[in-house]
Amino acid sequence: MGKRNMVGAGVLLGLLVALPPLLHNHYLTGVFIVCAIDGIWAASWDFFSGLTGRENFGHALFIGGGAYAAAFLNGNFGLNPWFSIPAGIAVAVVFGLLVGFPTLRLKGPYFALATLASAAIMQQVAINLWQYTGGSEGIYGLDTLIDSSLGSYYLVLAILVATVVVLSLIARSRWGTIMRAIKGDETACQAAGINVTFYKIASLAVSAAFAGLGGVLFAHYQQAVTPDDFDVFLSISVIIMAYVGGIGTIWGAACGGILLNLMLELMRGLGEYRLWVYYVILMVVLFFMREGFVAPLWRRLRGGNA
Amino acid sequence: MSALLEVEGLTKRFSGVTAVKDVSFTLGAGEITGVLGPNGAGKTTLFNLLTGFLPSDGGAARFEGKSILGAAPHVIVNRGIARTFQLCRPFHGMTVRENVVVGCLAPRVHAGGGLEQRVAEILGEVGLAHKAEQPVEILPYGDLRRLEIARALATRPQLLLLDEPFAGLGAGEIEPLVQLIRRLHDTQGLTILIIEHKLREFMQLVSRVIAMDFGEVIAIGAPADIVRHPRVIESYIGKGAHAIA
Repeated sequence: MGKRNMVGAGVLLGLLVALPPLLHNHYLTGVFIVCAIDGIWAASWDFFSGLTGRENFGHALFIGGGAYAAAFLNGNFGLNPWFSIPAGIAVAVVFGLLVGFPTLRLKGPYFALATLASAAIMQQVAINLWQYTGGSEGIYGLDTLIDSSLGSYYLVLAILVATVVVLSLIARSRWGTIMRAIKGDETACQAAGINVTFYKIASLAVSAAFAGLGGVLFAHYQQAVTPDDFDVFLSISVIIMAYVGGIGTIWGAACGGILLNLMLELMRGLGEYRLWVYYVILMVVLFFMREGFVAPLWRRLRGGNA
Repeated sequence: MSALLEVEGLTKRFSGVTAVKDVSFTLGAGEITGVLGPNGAGKTTLFNLLTGFLPSDGGAARFEGKSILGAAPHVIVNRGIARTFQLCRPFHGMTVRENVVVGCLAPRVHAGGGLEQRVAEILGEVGLAHKAEQPVEILPYGDLRRLEIARALATRPQLLLLDEPFAGLGAGEIEPLVQLIRRLHDTQGLTILIIEHKLREFMQLVSRVIAMDFGEVIAIGAPADIVRHPRVIESYIGKGAHAIA
């Protein structure tokens, strides 16, 4: 990590730490919490799909898995909310393995379709098994992990930072090199003696773990889960966040999540035109900035290659 | 000379077409052998069977006495058989050095802390050391051919399968590559199997030739004998020409 990158990361982190208490607004602190959770989701999506090039269209499967695990344990059975974190991660990893094993051996669009379909199936399951899941109403009355909203924000922010750091370290390791080689040419990667299927499945499990963790945080912040936690709209939103941030950069994807959420909130004044403006901006970014917005912008500001 | 690779009755069918038909041969340790045949003779299919990229429909293949048929490609590489591809397949989005690093990450290699040094050695060996940090996208074709070989070497093979290593190269680029392959054989004791469909390039390189046509082995022998073999001449020139002669 170059000196300028360190300074950039420090300034950004300083802003994220200082802004909510300075603004001193309960509603805005809530916005920042959702921003940070979006950052966790986008970074974890980017880790798998950005590095291996296999596009996951059902990240909400892992998010919802984590969220519902929290809701069952804490909401239905009244367990201490901190148990949700390991449980949510475990459920998301199991979902990742269940989707990954049959589909990541195959080439072509099977994986993208399977992830899209599995999230949709789980959404229907969450609606139909209403005796256990509360149907389309979901499960209400979860405890918060930390009572003060500022405390909750710092917890989520710390987990976002840890997520970006851990995933970036893996991405820079030999494991990450193999993931990029899989993106480059899967057949050649096999010819280089690499067990491609193993690395794809393991990487998806890691990605799922962090998405599930984000799902747990979201469930306890909202104090509720609904079948929307499995929604395709959520999966697509996460992909857009990663694209806007800069695919394959992890930190950029996290920033994309924060930025898009802030943007939506800042445009509340536009009333009903808000989503129009939002999607026009997204289309401009996706069409004209093929490598995303945040990471390429930083490369320009920073200059050099460090 | 003990047999490193034994192939017996190897067969592969694609919906009615028999691409490789009852192919048998052995490779001695330390040999350089050529597989010769016109386009469509089944040479690349043979490579794909031996490296696990295609399942076979019959026959046997043993490497160091143990069967390799049915094993996954990465398992076969870790047993000691590496290959290159007829069309270069570099890892896009990575540098030349990183492309070779991936080969060194095969479990067989155990490069550990010496990884960077080993990568540097291989790049030096194939003549790409000065381009180590270049992205593969800007490499000229001749260098991509060398990179294919470098990545295969990184897995520390005993047997190296080269699929048309001279394809697409200019006359000036072929001779240095021939020397590189000979040097790998001489200094590292590599056993090498080379596919070519043109005679000239590898006649000077190989000690033995397996000639194929329509999926079958039509002759095995020394290069000088193979070029005079009537069935080899027929497969290259065609029956019409043979009838005229």
